[in-house]
Formats: sequence, structure tokens, C-alpha cells
Amino acid sequence: MDPIRQNLPVLLDGLRLTIQYSIVAIILMVVIGLVAALMRLSAVAPLRWIATAYVEIFRSTPLLVQLFFIVLGLPAILPVNHWFGQLTYPILAAALTLSLNEGAYVTEIIRAGILGVDRGQKEAAQSIAMNGFQTMRYIVLPQAFKRMIPPLVNQAAQTIKDTSLLAPVGIAELVYKGEIVIAETFASFAIWGLIAALYFVLIFSLSKFSSYLERRLQVDKR
Amino acid sequence: MINVKDLHKSFGHNEILKGISTHVAEKEVVVIIGPSGSGKSTFLRCLNGLETATSGEIEIAGMTLTDPKTNIHLLRQHVGMVFQQFNLFKHLTILENVTIGPRKVKKIAPAEANRVARELLAKVGLVGKEASYPDELSGGQQQRVAIARSLAMGPNVMLFDEPTSALDPEMVGEVLQVMKTLAIEGMTMMVVTHEMGFAREVGHRVIFMDDGLIVEEGAPQALFSYPQRNRTKSFLAKIL
Repeated sequence: MDPIRQNLPVLLDGLRLTIQYSIVAIILMVVIGLVAALMRLSAVAPLRWIATAYVEIFRSTPLLVQLFFIVLGLPAILPVNHWFGQLTYPILAAALTLSLNEGAYVTEIIRAGILGVDRGQKEAAQSIAMNGFQTMRYIVLPQAFKRMIPPLVNQAAQTIKDTSLLAPVGIAELVYKGEIVIAETFASFAIWGLIAALYFVLIFSLSKFSSYLERRLQVDKR
Repeated sequence: MINVKDLHKSFGHNEILKGISTHVAEKEVVVIIGPSGSGKSTFLRCLNGLETATSGEIEIAGMTLTDPKTNIHLLRQHVGMVFQQFNLFKHLTILENVTIGPRKVKKIAPAEANRVARELLAKVGLVGKEASYPDELSGGQQQRVAIARSLAMGPNVMLFDEPTSALDPEMVGEVLQVMKTLAIEGMTMMVVTHEMGFAREVGHRVIFMDDGLIVEEGAPQALFSYPQRNRTKSFLAKIL
């Protein structure tokens, strides 16, 4: 138990960063996903093309490669460290890359959710003179959102786990701290076990929260 | 109130409406009958822009629908529509279903919108259901809410697209009764229906459509008793 107790503060420090990156990425992925989904469903062809290209690019390359490319590769050709600061750029780039990657999946979740709403709902909204924005905002999205909760929670759980890929690009989150602690203590089994348990607690509470949310938002009583 | 000139509508190479021309006067109740696939519903949906006419001219509620400069949302405030499948907003209560249009589109204050909505719900016989959700109501009740939702926008014309076709037989009467009341109050109405009793009793004029064209039209008694065209005769023989 000793290596755990001694190094717990270090690990909790890493956990704090894991939680912070998770929260930022989950919020941003939903915002990005919503915008990109609406673009994919837009009547304006160039908007559709841009959103489709975005989804395909981020879905068809590994997140780890995207992180290396943007966090470590980009500074080699652009003075981004100068623009954002030597210390700030990796933080911003890592958070943004993670959000963009997860956002690509969220785009498809939201798009499917919107398409799953009965066409008659949209027509009824149009028939009482709602414009496209009002129809989306007051009629389609609230109904789509309820169905999107389970896949969105899945994606949020995935996002939390994916923050572990920030370790190789130098973000001192939970896995990164764990590797440091293990290098000093050699308590590989205990530390990795503890780290796994911490992720479990994090994601398990998320899924409990989401089933509560789903019950509260239950709209049609079937 | 409604003026349609040589209306054509195609989906791809499939021509559904092949040149419809008609005129509906203010306070007139026109019933459209015809076999399925004759284009009745498409015609009605063209009248509030749910379908875009391929060619021809539509004037309705003082606006030219087929003029691209016409504000379609403004036009729809004056043209109500009731659907076969009711299409109530499933995530909203009955009261919210009726108030959301006035509140969000016409920017009417919630208190005033609620007052009008309660009046309309009373008119269609649904006092006490304000807080229910659509799924908790019978089909007949849902369709009456849908009528109230349309009326809340203060339309000049009401379009009914087979309003009783999805209902159990015992609920048809309550919906037709509400429509009859509207007609008596002087609402201009176009009704696609298979309810010949309603057509006879409430309709001022019946239009028989087949294969994308108006085959025959006239006063209900005349059309039902003395149809002139063979296609009208054979259709009426099947359903009467």
C-alpha cells in the first residue's frame, strides 16, 4: 500500500487534469458536433462538403496520430508556440484536437438523431409558420436530443478514456503521472490498478448521472 | 380567397398534378374527393407551400404563393393545416402545442397566448387536458388539438388533409363536428376527405379529382346525385 499512499497526491493531480480535459472536450465536442451536423444537413452544398470532409478526415485517422501531428508536428512549420506561448500552445492544441476528433463522431450521432424525428413534426411546425431555425430549435432538436442521450453518453465515456492519449504528447494527466510514479517506485501492478479504478469511478458516475438525466427528460410516455 | 391557375407538380418524371385551376371564395367550404393517388393531398400541400409547385400560379389569403418574393412564413400564418396523422408536437403538453406558434412566431406574450389557447381548447371540447401530453390522448382528441393549434395562429383559410382517415370510426364524429362548427362560423375551408356525409352536409362545393386533374365539380347534391362524367360515376358507385 505504501507506494500508493505516498504518491496519491501526484496521481490525484493527474486525475484533476484528466477531468478538466474531459469536461472541456465533452462540451466542445457537442458544440462542434451540433454545428457540423447542421452543416451536413444544410441545403447549401459547400457547407455540406466542408462538414463531410471534416468528419471523414478525423474519423479515418488515429487520434494519437492527430495529436502528434497537431501538438508536436505543427510547431515545426508554423510559429504557433510564438503566437500562443511555448507553454500554452500544447495545452490548447491537445484540447482542441481531442474535441475535434470526438466531435466528428458526435456529428454523426446528432445528424442521425435529427433525421430520426418524424417528418410530420417538421411539417406541422412549418404549417404554423415557423421558420427553419424555430423548427429546429423548438420542435426537432428537443425531440432528437432525447434519443441522442445514450449514444452521446457512450461518446463522453470514450472521450474520458481518450484523454489517456494526451500522455504521449506531454500533457501531465493521469496516465502520464502514473508512468512517472511507476518509474520511481516500480509498483507497476498497484499503480496501473489504481489508475484503472479511478477511470472506472469517473465513467461509472457519468453513466449513473446520464440514466438519471434520461429519466428526467423522458418526453413521450412510451 | 384562393385562386389556382394551371397548377402543375412533378416529382422527378412523375407528374402528380397536371394542370389544376380553381377558385375558392371567402367562407366557402370545398370538399375534394377522389381515388388515392389522384393528387388531392399534393394539391392541398401546394397551397401552403409544403410542396413547391412546378409551374402555375397560386394566390391565397391575398398573397401570391408562387411568387418567389412572397414571404412564405408570413403566408403560412394565414393558412392553417390539419394533417391525417395529427402531427402534434410529442414533447410538448396540449397547452404548449397550441401556444408555441403564437408565442414563438407571432411573439405574443405567454399570458395572452395561454388565454387564447384555453378558449380554443374549450371550443374543441378539451377542457382539462391542458397539461396532458399528446400520447395520453385518443386520436380524436389529438386531432381536435391539432385543429386548435392551427386556429391559434388566426388563419383566414384552413386546409384539412384527410383529417379523419387515421381515426377509429367512433372518433370520426367528434372531429367532423368541430369542423362543421368552423364552417358555420364562416371559415374558408378546403377539405380532402372520404366522409361523403360531411361533404353533403357541410360542403358548398365538391371537387372530384382523378389522375392529377379536376374531373368534375359542383354542388354536393348535384355531383352526388347526377354525376356527369363516367370516372365520377364509377368512383361514386364504389364508395356510396
